[in-house]
Amino acid sequence: MSNEAVMQDAPRDGGVPILTLLVALIAIGVGIYASLPLLAEGHSAFNTTSNLAWGLPVVAYVFLALSSTGLAMVSSLAMVFGWKDFYPIAKRCLWLAVALLIAGFISLALELGHPFRMLWAIPLNLQVQSPLFWMGVWYLIALVFMVVKLALLQKEEWSTSASRTVGIATFVSEILAAVTLALVFGMMAMRPYWYGSFVPVYFLVTAALSGVAFATLFTFFAHGLGTSSMSPRMTHLMTETMPKIFAALLGTVLVLAVARVITGLWSNQPEIALVTRHFVDSPWFHVQLWLGMVLPFILLLSPKLRVQPIIQLLAAVLVLLGVFIGRYEYIVGGQLVPLFKGTWYPDLIAYTPSMAEWGIVLFGVGIGLLIYAIGMWMFRLDDAPADAR
Amino acid sequence: MAKWGMVIDLDKCTGCQACTTACSMENNTLPGENWQDVLYYHEGQYPSAQMKWLPRPCMQCESPSCVHVCPTRATYKDMDAGGIVFVDWNKCIGCKYCMIACPYGVRFYADEKPLLEPDLRDIFPGEGGQVWSPPYQNPEEDWRRGIGIQPKGVVSKCTFCYHRVSKAPPGTPDLDEDNPDLKEYVPACVRTCPPKARFFGDLDNPSSEVNRLIGDKHGVRLLDHTGNRPQVYYLGAGAGVPAFTPKTKS
Repeated sequence: MSNEAVMQDAPRDGGVPILTLLVALIAIGVGIYASLPLLAEGHSAFNTTSNLAWGLPVVAYVFLALSSTGLAMVSSLAMVFGWKDFYPIAKRCLWLAVALLIAGFISLALELGHPFRMLWAIPLNLQVQSPLFWMGVWYLIALVFMVVKLALLQKEEWSTSASRTVGIATFVSEILAAVTLALVFGMMAMRPYWYGSFVPVYFLVTAALSGVAFATLFTFFAHGLGTSSMSPRMTHLMTETMPKIFAALLGTVLVLAVARVITGLWSNQPEIALVTRHFVDSPWFHVQLWLGMVLPFILLLSPKLRVQPIIQLLAAVLVLLGVFIGRYEYIVGGQLVPLFKGTWYPDLIAYTPSMAEWGIVLFGVGIGLLIYAIGMWMFRLDDAPADAR
Repeated sequence: MAKWGMVIDLDKCTGCQACTTACSMENNTLPGENWQDVLYYHEGQYPSAQMKWLPRPCMQCESPSCVHVCPTRATYKDMDAGGIVFVDWNKCIGCKYCMIACPYGVRFYADEKPLLEPDLRDIFPGEGGQVWSPPYQNPEEDWRRGIGIQPKGVVSKCTFCYHRVSKAPPGTPDLDEDNPDLKEYVPACVRTCPPKARFFGDLDNPSSEVNRLIGDKHGVRLLDHTGNRPQVYYLGAGAGVPAFTPKTKS
């Protein structure tokens, strides 16, 4: 394969990068403002408690980190598995994966009691029994490999042996990271709503779905919500191949999600049945199911509709909303039944995220968008090797 | 080295919460930060409704899931300290995974909204790294074992009053509050228990009273299906945790 790269027609200056930057700065500003109580009160500004310890920041971290894995999967279709159709969006997906992962790290770090202590306490103590340890290791390795891969792509090294090796390493470390993240929850037998050795499968499939949704969203945004500025090859990818993969993944997730709800409602186990019933009774569940999964699935099934960028964009936004609600339900759901608290906590634990929690999530997302916007200027994110035009 | 264990006789326990009060005075815990608590449960319905109560210290499990999940080894089981599970406040990063993994809900993150107003942390603001500094406090402090008043952003828990227990003469089979020579070494909750429902001793010593009680009176461990194997045993009727039934559904 030739190392000669071609510049495709991505608008690098003008409206879209400036808009992205503007949105990023607004998100950072609003995020800082909303999380100011964190500086004054510490974690008392959160609505999490000793009984429900992991709240919205952890939900956002899982959502963003798994989306990063999903984007790495999309970019690996070309760079690891040789599906050349995907080259036109591979670099953008890779950089977006970096940006979202850093956004997730920020959300998680600001949730910790001592984020800076983590930097020495985790490597110096090597608690290899902890899934949290391995999750950190794999995501950190993945981040380094992704940055190295991007540096190689900047030097037009699309398929040198070094570049291919780094690409494979990126893919493997992102997959292992998502799997260990799943096991952070899946290995907790004392929390039946989380427990299960197939949680990694669920996380990987939903990660791929959110990765495809983000790839769709940001590719169309970069091209002014249409295909007019896309190369023919990218147009083919975004109107033919991509929506079919999107639909197939969404269908798979729909089956898994419905199976999970039915299992939950059928079960006698209070930790599973009561929590599932609690969510099914909530309007957010129906937003997730009907708007976040069923509607976009129908839209993407129709050959006439799915070729339209606006329909794909709508589907991507709805799916990301649905996936986010799903992450929230899963992570908060595992903690709703109080563990051994008697009548001190006679009901499911009540939790609504505080402004400060939303603030740090918004701050993390803003930084992620800023990193992405910088990438739009500095790197040719629509670049592809010459033979993949 | 001893393997410290606790036996709680539910046929004697009156649910008076003296143990909880003694614990919070001994360890200067904040309201809601109940290293020791008595949990009350309703089970069944009229005419066979029951009320039951279970005193709950940290179970100091033999296979503690909190220790397995801690990414920094801040929480650890110290076999040289009688198998007590400690939190090293110098290493804890406040990720709260141990609180997620503990089936017994015995861990606390004090950096949260106050349970009661006014917030005692505002009335007695923390000094020297403490999350709050009440005017009268236990002088015992050992951050490597989570003893004393915690700093911000870490997890705290029952230490079996290690600052007392560790001073007992080596080889003592039981720390009995009725023995004048030993009473200063007895954990606060055991020493204060008015009906003498709590016993504290060495599970590795075949002649200890705690072993005799567990054997003779059918001691059980709570939520034993989790496999954590507590070093706290319960005697008497009612030694079991009812399934969760929300108040609104019962």
